[in-house]
Amino acid sequence: MSGTNHTDDRDDEVFGDEDWGDEEFDAGLLEEELRQAAAVLDPVPAELQQIAVDAYALHDLDARVAELTFDSLVDAIPVRGVTDVPRMLTFRAGEVTVDVEVTEDGLMGQVLPPQPARIEVLGGPRPGSPLTADDLGRFTGDVPPAGPFALRLRTGADVVVTEWLRA
Amino acid sequence: MTAEAAPSTAYDDVPYSRGGAAVDRTDAGALVQAAADGDAAAWKALVEGLSPLVWSVVRAHRLSDADAHEVYQTAWFRFAQYLGRIREPDKAGAWLASTARHECLKVIRSSRRLTLTDDPQLLDRVSEDGTPEQSLLDSEEAAAQSERVRRLWQEFEELGERCRQLLRVLMATPPPSYQDVSAALGIAVGSIGPLRQRCLRRLRARLEARGAM
Repeated sequence: MSGTNHTDDRDDEVFGDEDWGDEEFDAGLLEEELRQAAAVLDPVPAELQQIAVDAYALHDLDARVAELTFDSLVDAIPVRGVTDVPRMLTFRAGEVTVDVEVTEDGLMGQVLPPQPARIEVLGGPRPGSPLTADDLGRFTGDVPPAGPFALRLRTGADVVVTEWLRA
Repeated sequence: MTAEAAPSTAYDDVPYSRGGAAVDRTDAGALVQAAADGDAAAWKALVEGLSPLVWSVVRAHRLSDADAHEVYQTAWFRFAQYLGRIREPDKAGAWLASTARHECLKVIRSSRRLTLTDDPQLLDRVSEDGTPEQSLLDSEEAAAQSERVRRLWQEFEELGERCRQLLRVLMATPPPSYQDVSAALGIAVGSIGPLRQRCLRRLRARLEARGAM
């Protein structure tokens, strides 16, 4: 193999043009070999890819997307020694804000400005479980979302869906 | 092994697809547009073309299987949600890769569900006899080939974290662009080429040391 004189980790810097071509050729071969190995040993699980195909049903141009603007996992300073803090999330679509708190016992939250809403907790492309927000916009659910989830809210004629997130 | 991967000697002029890409950049833009307009076949083509990239990003971050599945799904659900609202549809690969990366980092941050670097299932899959792919490899020649693939994978798994991560993303099918790789790992496009060279060189050295080249 012509590239064997360049397998040492130390000679990173200097290559002649010719050596460079050899080196790149060998690298390309090895990368391709890895690609084939990955296709055999660690492919995308078929059932998982099917879920992605089915996710097309989640495409909904009529709903407004409420973007994640706060996630305690990223934006909050962790408290030392405190495990199992609730996950606090804030989503925003225009003037509508949705605060959500996810704990082991379920989820609770509030729609702001305060208003009643019909809420669906989605876990994927199938119908979700319903919740209702009271006149103050408050809602609770006694099942914590597992895996990816989104909330679909209907307030009057408006439909808002929170950005998909892994709970 | 085939030698079809066209070697490129320039770092700064890497084409979007370095091999025979199923979804190249213009295709991706057109497919996103078609899918947003209601073409389910276009969506399916996007999933088929970009799924291995998303999976590679997730695998590169060494999540547990359960977390890996959830992050993969989250990336696709969000992509479906934002379909038609994505500013640069021709960069759908980078969008998905970046989304997957950020979700991976969140998983790693929420240590309660972090599974450390063991990946027993994957290692088992490599060493186990009688797996579905094993039955395809019956002849002696195929057995030797399979042994070679197993060794290659083992040496790859034992590379340093940075190299393992980079190579796991690079080995997606079709070969990801450096822009996608950059989005997947949060490293500058310009540093990917030199890093790739170094990591592949390191892997080759390991294989040679074991007499496996």
